[in-house]
Amino acid sequence: MFNIENWDWESKEKMLAEPAKWKDQFEDVWEPYISPDGEKIASIVKIGEGEFNIAINEGTWEEPFEKIWYSRFSPDGRLTAFITKDMEWTMAVDGKTWEQMYEYIWDTKFSADGKIIAATTKVDSVYSITINEKTWECPTKLQSIASHVISPDGKTSVAIAQTVPLAEGDVNAFTKGAWSVIVNGKPWNDNYADIYGLAISDDGKNVVAEYRNSICEYGILVNEKPWNEKFGCTWEPVFHPKNSDEITAPVRQAGQWFLATNGRIVWDKGFINLMHQTYSPDGNNIAAAVAPSFAKWTIAVNGQPWSKTFNECILKPYFSPDGRKVAAIAKDSGKWLLVVDGTVLGEGYDNIWPPVFGPNGDMVICKVEKNGKYAIAVNGKIRGNDYEALWNPVVSPDGTKVMICGVEDGKYYRKVVLLSDI
Amino acid sequence: MKPTIAIREPVVDDLMDQTEKILTEEQIEKVINEVIDQETGVRLQTYVNTCIHCGLCSEACHWFLSNDRDVSFAPVTKVKDTIWVMLEKKGKVDAAFIKRCSQIAHTECNVCRRCGMYCPFGIDIAYMMLVVRRICAKLEMVPLYLQDTVNSHAATMNQMWVKPDEWIDTLQWQEEEAQGYVPSARLPLEKEGAEIMYSVIGPEPKFLAQLLGNITVIMKVAGLDWTMPATAGWDNSNMAMYSGDFEVMARVERLHHETAQRLKVKKIVMGECGHAFRGGEYDGPTWLGWMSPPIPIVHAVAFYYDLIKSGRIKIAKKVEGPVTVQYPCNIIRNAGLGSKLQYIMNAVCEDFVDLIPNDRHAYCCNAGGDTINCGPPWKKIRVQSAKIQSENFKRTGAHTIVTPCHNCHSGVEDIVDGYKLGMHVKFFSELLIEAMEIPEHLKPKEE
Repeated sequence: MFNIENWDWESKEKMLAEPAKWKDQFEDVWEPYISPDGEKIASIVKIGEGEFNIAINEGTWEEPFEKIWYSRFSPDGRLTAFITKDMEWTMAVDGKTWEQMYEYIWDTKFSADGKIIAATTKVDSVYSITINEKTWECPTKLQSIASHVISPDGKTSVAIAQTVPLAEGDVNAFTKGAWSVIVNGKPWNDNYADIYGLAISDDGKNVVAEYRNSICEYGILVNEKPWNEKFGCTWEPVFHPKNSDEITAPVRQAGQWFLATNGRIVWDKGFINLMHQTYSPDGNNIAAAVAPSFAKWTIAVNGQPWSKTFNECILKPYFSPDGRKVAAIAKDSGKWLLVVDGTVLGEGYDNIWPPVFGPNGDMVICKVEKNGKYAIAVNGKIRGNDYEALWNPVVSPDGTKVMICGVEDGKYYRKVVLLSDI
Repeated sequence: MKPTIAIREPVVDDLMDQTEKILTEEQIEKVINEVIDQETGVRLQTYVNTCIHCGLCSEACHWFLSNDRDVSFAPVTKVKDTIWVMLEKKGKVDAAFIKRCSQIAHTECNVCRRCGMYCPFGIDIAYMMLVVRRICAKLEMVPLYLQDTVNSHAATMNQMWVKPDEWIDTLQWQEEEAQGYVPSARLPLEKEGAEIMYSVIGPEPKFLAQLLGNITVIMKVAGLDWTMPATAGWDNSNMAMYSGDFEVMARVERLHHETAQRLKVKKIVMGECGHAFRGGEYDGPTWLGWMSPPIPIVHAVAFYYDLIKSGRIKIAKKVEGPVTVQYPCNIIRNAGLGSKLQYIMNAVCEDFVDLIPNDRHAYCCNAGGDTINCGPPWKKIRVQSAKIQSENFKRTGAHTIVTPCHNCHSGVEDIVDGYKLGMHVKFFSELLIEAMEIPEHLKPKEE
């Protein structure tokens, strides 16, 4: 998280706003968002017919707008949202709008430090990516943009885009390929029937995507070059965190799912399904959600599934900072469970948010929901009081404290608690 | 085994005609044997070996009954003329045969599963038709319009080539429309942690946007915490499931479910569509390895039943005059929502005139199972083969037919038009909006 070492890790408790009072002040109050450092809370509010603003801590943006939606904080704490003026759309950042207006704008993305703000834009029915107010100069008139990704440093932006117009029912043109990958405004040379699972390596050098040629012919493209191997189906590829030349993807062969690295199957055991493969921070281990048999879900680490399985599903695995432990959220018989290294910790909940490891991996902290209230659970057991709204906990860089932000009795609190006291 | 004499008017389907010219017998043999060996098992063998060719399934089939009991439309004939031949000849068949298989399995069978109910052994004939479709799809022998819909699913993750901005823009427009009825109504986009994710099928934003406005009003009056995604994953429909492209089917279903997981909702409530329920509840999860959807799916009929039964929605004025209903196969015969549908029909209609036969035994609208998506080339025979259901509608004397399913809706409109029934066709939510009570505090203030 950007600049996390400079966040306020000393103040034990700050009451920063009273969102409950907003309901008396405004016609309607939408769900709140908080800044990454927890210092700001904001909601879109309706102030009258066709007039919206954003309430943020004790104030609002200076100028109201006809419409506002998708308010999101950047990693450096600036508040962004899409707004309309005279029926045209643009981005507003801390209440100040970009100069250019668009037919439409959506899907905000940030660089890791928040300095780069990107979104998909449409002007005169041509689609593009706009980065800090500068729109791609793309030689091809893009017909649509399905999704886009930016690198952590914000220097590389890529999108899956339709590069060729398609007439209704023109299946031949579709099969020939009407979609491509656009890197910093430049389309790849070839078009494809379908592109999925776009990703950029952390160093911004490599771009990977799945492609589909025909009903059962899928493959992986790395900087336009396909793996030699084709598969019956694929899921999203991911990069090794330290070596952007290593790419891993789930692939389907003869009705089973395997894990492949750079085209070669590396887990010899096949599964009914295999998804959400995740590298450990050092890249030495890899874990994935797998179904060894029908309706039995678990995590496999380096190809070895946990013995404990769950009858509904299991979500993305998370490694501890040292890469030795793996946590995941599973669902079994209607309840969500926290599972660490194949062992269920604590009780079942109505919802569990992504787990956060303490520094040495012996503590797993989660936001949980039970009976309509939210709480912090440590190793699966609720600690402390209930909240009306709660955000994911953040562990301090030195690993001694955790930031907990939530709304209690209509008031928004930012608390810093010693991990030893939680 | 002699092929059945099937007399059909010639139909021009550009994709099927084109594929017939280029398919080789080697390709065909390879694909048939691959599918039979790798994608089927004891289920298919049991069905094939158990069938005694008694033909009792024929009496269940609206195609057979609507076409003067022409045996070439009987379910047993459809099996005999397709998968039996493939098995008997071990895949050594030609392109013309595969084209005829696609015609039978894609355009002359709704996989409605009524025949399976009347089979003395309970053989799921529809399953065998889906195996035939899978083989045809892998050989790219699919009706043109259906394939175009599948291409849309594959490229955009929705059925109607709706672009991401068009989707969001339509929701925002319909939120404003809803505010004309209930000023405080809101269509919350991307609200993480809401109780409900509401999902719809592609035609709603494309052609029937008012349904999105209707649900916005209904959710507000019922006081529910809900959301809709502003990303792909909003479309719960799945024509790839029916064409035989199971890989695209799975990708679409996975995204739909993972969108609900991302939004951390407790359940997905889906609009009025039958096949989408089947894809979300059964076919999609099964392919992906889930016993049932990890985030439970509630069909609109069950949802409205709960709202009315619990009193969250009160009925102010029932719809006058006789009204009847089309029972969508995928939520009634195949999911048991018949009594709930009857309950909500009685709740909002002064004079609900039921169909005979009804509930699980009701006939298919003849649009389901993808047949309507096969497009204009195949419309004439589709409407012709819905004759028996047109007679059932006529007998009710209703002024309106309610169709809690999009395919039923379009199919029944074609029946009403084709047989000059002079009836209206409406979704249940359209009746509910007319009949429900809007509490005083939610009504627009007088100027």
